[in-house]
Amino acid sequence: MSQKSFQEIHHADSAGWESSKAPRSHLRHLEAELSFLSMLTGFNITHYSKKTEDPTSAEMTEESIKKVLQRHRLSGSCHVVMFQLEFQILEIQNKENLSSVITDLSIVMEPTEYSELNEFVSSFPLACPSAMVLLTCNSPKEMEPADHGLKPLKPAEERRDLFMFFRGLHFFVEWYEYRKRTFKHFKDKYPDVVHLPEGPCSRCMGIHSASCPGFELMIVWRIQIDEEGKVSPLLDLLTKIPQRALELDKNRVIETAPLCFRTLLRVLGIEAAVESLIRLLQTGNA
Amino acid sequence: MEQANAVRQDGETKAGILAHLEGLEAQMNRSCKRSEELQRTQAEESALGIKIRELRCLRDKLRAEVNQRRARAKASSASVEPDQTVGIGEQEVLERKQESVKAVLQAYRFTGLSGKLTSRGVCICISTAFEGNLLDSYFVDLVIQRPLWIHHHSVPVFIPLEKIAAKYLQTDIQRFLFSLCEYLNAYAGRKYQADRLQGDFAAFLTRPLHRNSLCNLLLFTYKVEQMRQSSFCARLLYEDLTATLPTDTTVTYQGTEALSTSMEEQRASHEALFRTKPLHQVFASFAKEEELDLSLAS
Repeated sequence: MSQKSFQEIHHADSAGWESSKAPRSHLRHLEAELSFLSMLTGFNITHYSKKTEDPTSAEMTEESIKKVLQRHRLSGSCHVVMFQLEFQILEIQNKENLSSVITDLSIVMEPTEYSELNEFVSSFPLACPSAMVLLTCNSPKEMEPADHGLKPLKPAEERRDLFMFFRGLHFFVEWYEYRKRTFKHFKDKYPDVVHLPEGPCSRCMGIHSASCPGFELMIVWRIQIDEEGKVSPLLDLLTKIPQRALELDKNRVIETAPLCFRTLLRVLGIEAAVESLIRLLQTGNA
Repeated sequence: MEQANAVRQDGETKAGILAHLEGLEAQMNRSCKRSEELQRTQAEESALGIKIRELRCLRDKLRAEVNQRRARAKASSASVEPDQTVGIGEQEVLERKQESVKAVLQAYRFTGLSGKLTSRGVCICISTAFEGNLLDSYFVDLVIQRPLWIHHHSVPVFIPLEKIAAKYLQTDIQRFLFSLCEYLNAYAGRKYQADRLQGDFAAFLTRPLHRNSLCNLLLFTYKVEQMRQSSFCARLLYEDLTATLPTDTTVTYQGTEALSTSMEEQRASHEALFRTKPLHQVFASFAKEEELDLSLAS
């Protein structure tokens, strides 16, 4: 009798162990899917929760319109940028169709010490008046005044476009990383000539050469985002030259330099244009 | 005399022996009885003893079963599969993890880009939206091989999918996806604006709206208030297929009356409006102006 009961227990034990193997492999499959999706999109979502509420609406029963309000909370990261979103989606089901509208969107981003990401968040078109943009900075820097390239936040615009935020974030981070890589490439290639005043994530790159003392070229590379959420680079050339050289400059080369640089960019592209500038100063043919 | 005594003594002796024998017999009987009783009680005792042992066994068995059931009941309230007594805590942890991973996988659709692994690769779902209105979704089924290829998709023919794929698919899949996202979302936005114009603001149009399938060329004739015989003809061209605002707008005056300066101002301002604001918003502002004028007039 006791033998039989032991067998029964043994049976139950082994069966339990086998059934717990299946959930483990299922979990592994889910996690694989998640890491693949994270790699594919570049977004690493770490947390998501949702709450469904039925709004008390008098018109609901009369016209057989069903309204469901869902509150969503989502947080994750894209490269160095961490984001936290809260938004509401209102689903309206009437006889003909089902429509979904994002009725509220609030974004919290942690840009660490990169002031330009602050600008990105504030320049992003958001809904008003219910939306808010909160910035948490580790080392607060003054926000730069709106440049001619950046369009300031327009409170009158009602664009609660969640997808636009993610697209904008993706392209912004792409440009950000590309700028970082490009500047680093030039710094490594010409360590004596090139310097990055703001560090490795600098927005500008200075070029000076010992052969031409007093001359300095500064390339300012801004990343701007427009009202439609489209991200594009904006490069400018600033020149610093000694007063005497300016007086000698009959052909007003210096004055027209920024414009020529813009043309050069269009013709050669960013890297080749910058390379040519560096070569120019290096050889001393200013 | 002695004889009499002897007789009497004999009688007494005889009586005495008989009594003695009787006494012995009785004794014997009594002891027999006692031993019988003893045997009986002993037998009873042993029988009871066996019964006790059996009952004890049964009690132990029932106790064990009660404990098992208690453990099972506890496990079943925490997990779905109750028939194991070992590894219950593990089961709970696993299932909670599964739930959270599933939730995060679902959340990817809010980025506009989500996907599911298939046997051969991945099926990617691109969602579109415009101004907070969630619109159509499209899918692209990719087979992960060298080279990557698109098994099938639901992208409309007028979206330059092949061009985008030729440019990015093999070298940078992320870029391919986001580029496609841009095109699809822009198309969805343009389509939404055109639909809204046709639906909500049809009253302004004097003739039906002309549009192409890509919704990047719109032609329409419309009237605003104070225009009786005349109308404006607008032509909106969206050269940038990743944009929801036109690159080129032309508004021309159509009518028999002479073009007054105020009308010309209106025409120019409308031309600028169409270039800077979404189409349906422009007409919404027209409608508001009319309402305002009506309320002022009355």
